[in-house]
Amino acid sequence: MKKLIDIQNLVKQFDDQVVLNNINLYINENEFITLLGPSGCGKTTLLRLIGGFETLDEGKILFEDKNIADIPAHKRPINTVFQKYALFPHLNVYQNIAFGLKMKKMPKETIEQEVLKALEMVKLKGYESRNIKTLSGGQQQRVAIARALVNKPKVLLLDEPLAALDLKLRQDMQYELKEMQRALGITFIFVTHDQEEALTMSDTVVVMNEGHILQIGTPIDIYNEPKNRFVASFIGESNILPATMIKDYKVNILNTEYTCVDHGFGEQTPVEVVIRPEDIELKPAQGGIEGLVTDVIFKGVHYEIIVMVGTIEFIIHSTLSQTVGTQVSITFEPEAIHVMRR
Amino acid sequence: MKKLRALSFPYVMWMSLTIVLPMALILLVAFSDLNIFRLGSFTFTLEGFSVLRSPVITTAIRNSFRFAFIVTALCFLIGYPVAYLLARSTSRHKTLFVTFLILPVWSNMLLRIVAWERLFFPNSILNMFGISLNLIGTDLAIIIGMISMYLPFMIFPIYSVLDKMDQALIEAAIDLGASRVKTFFKVTLPLSFGGVVSGVIMTMLPAMTAFALPARLSGGRTLLIGNIIEDYFMRTANFNAGSIVSLVMMVLMIVLYLWILRFDKEGETLI
Repeated sequence: MKKLIDIQNLVKQFDDQVVLNNINLYINENEFITLLGPSGCGKTTLLRLIGGFETLDEGKILFEDKNIADIPAHKRPINTVFQKYALFPHLNVYQNIAFGLKMKKMPKETIEQEVLKALEMVKLKGYESRNIKTLSGGQQQRVAIARALVNKPKVLLLDEPLAALDLKLRQDMQYELKEMQRALGITFIFVTHDQEEALTMSDTVVVMNEGHILQIGTPIDIYNEPKNRFVASFIGESNILPATMIKDYKVNILNTEYTCVDHGFGEQTPVEVVIRPEDIELKPAQGGIEGLVTDVIFKGVHYEIIVMVGTIEFIIHSTLSQTVGTQVSITFEPEAIHVMRR
Repeated sequence: MKKLRALSFPYVMWMSLTIVLPMALILLVAFSDLNIFRLGSFTFTLEGFSVLRSPVITTAIRNSFRFAFIVTALCFLIGYPVAYLLARSTSRHKTLFVTFLILPVWSNMLLRIVAWERLFFPNSILNMFGISLNLIGTDLAIIIGMISMYLPFMIFPIYSVLDKMDQALIEAAIDLGASRVKTFFKVTLPLSFGGVVSGVIMTMLPAMTAFALPARLSGGRTLLIGNIIEDYFMRTANFNAGSIVSLVMMVLMIVLYLWILRFDKEGETLI
C-alpha cells in the first residue's frame, strides 16, 4: 500500500487554544479511515486542514510527498461531503452535481454523461431537475455524495455525513458508502462520533480526544485491545476494573488471580483491565468473583444483566436471563482480559 | 384563535383610516370632477386624465424614473461591496460599523437635504478649503443627495442576507474547484439576490416619489413627479389632477414592483 497523505507533527491553535496537538498520521491509498472521537476532540478540524479550509500552525501535511500548503483548496484533488450537505439551494440536483465539472470546464456532453452516471450510482436516476429543497434528508445526502464523487477525487472527506439520518437509513448508507469506496478505489476519510459507525465501515480507526490521537488500528484491534481507559469506554460498553499485574500472563483482579494473554507490564504493577460485557459468563455461585444480580433488562438480542460485586458494578450481555437477587459467579476466559496501563 | 382576532381590531381600524379611506378618496377624486370647495354635487368623468398629456407632467415622470434608475444602480454598485465586506468581517467592531451606517437614517431627512444644499451652493463652508462645489441645479446634486439618503436602504437587506448565508456553501464551492471570483459569481451573488431585490425596491420607490430633495437640490429647476403632486395639492388645490398623477405613479410602481419580483426566484425577498 502506498502512503497518500502523511501528517507530520501537526499543531493547530484557535486563539491560543491548542485544538490539535502533535498529530502524526499517515493515510494509505484506497483506505477507509475514520477519525473517531467525542465532539470537540479536533477530528473535524483535522479534516478541514486536509480539505484546505483551515491553515495549520506547525508541522506539515504531505499529499503524495508534496506539501499540501502549496496547493490552494480549490485545486486539491480532494472533495468533501459536508455535515449538513451544503447543497446549493439556487441550483437543481443536476446543476449541483455538475458544479465541479463545470468549474473544470469539461465539455457539456462529458458533464452530462458523468452527472447521469453519478446519479445512477447514488440511486437518484430521474431526479435531475428536482429542486433540492423538495428532497428528503437521505436524498440530499446522496446528492452531496454524488456531487463530490463525480469529480473523481483521490480523497473524499466526509464530515459526519450520516448524523442527520434516522437509524435505518444510516445503516443502509453505511453499507452503501463502504461499497462505493471499494468499487471506486478512492480513499475515504470519515469523521464521526459514533463508534458503531466507525467499527462497521473502516479499515482503520483513529481514536481522538482533546486534540490528541489516542490509538490507531483496525476496528478489531481498537475493540479488543484498547490502549487506555478512554478508548475502552468510548468504544462500546465495557467493564473497567482496577487490577494488579503480578507478572507476565498473571493478573490479580478483585483479589482473584487470573491467567491472561498480556505481558510486558512488569511485576506487581497496578493496571486496569477491560472486560467486554459479552465476554463474561455467569455461573451459579462457585467462588472467584461473586456478586448479586440486581437488574435484568431485555435488549432484544440479549439481556443486559447488572451484577454488583461489593460496590463495583458489572455489566453482562448474555442470551440467558438471570433472576434478580441470585448470587452468581463472574467468569471469563483469559483472552477476554485486556490489560491497560493505568 | 378567535379570541386573538379581536386584538387585530385596532390595526384594522388604523389601516382603514389611513390607507383604505384615503385610497378610496383618491380614486373618487381622480375619476370625478369633485371639487373640495363645492362639495355635494359631482359627476364621474375621465376628463381630468387629459392632464397626462401635458409635457410638464410627462417630463416629470420621465425624470422620476431616470433618477430612480440611476440612483438605484449606483446604490447597488456602491452598496453591495460595503454589505459584502461588512458581512464577511470578523472584526469585533462589526456591530459598531453597522451602527455607523444606520446612524444617518436616524437623523431628520429634511435636515440632511438642507445640509447638502448648503454645501452645494457656490458660497459654502467649503470655501474655507478653497472649494466651491456650485452644484445646485445640476443632476449630479440630486444624484449625490439621493445616494446619501437611500444607500443604507440598499446596504441593509443585502447585508442581512449575506450575513445569514451558510458559510459551508462557500466552502463547498471552493471544494468543488471554484476560485474565489467564481465562487462569488456562481454562489454568493445568486444567493444574495433576495437581498438585492429588497434593496432595489427600498431604494427605487422612495427615489421615485422624492419631492423635498429635488426641490431643494435642483433649486426648483428639475421637477420630479413628487413636486408636481405636491404642487397640485398644496399650491393650486387641483385635487383632481393631483389624484390622477398619484394614481398613475402608483400603478407604474406596482408594475415595476411585480417586474422586479419576477427576478426573485427564491422568494426570499425581505418585504
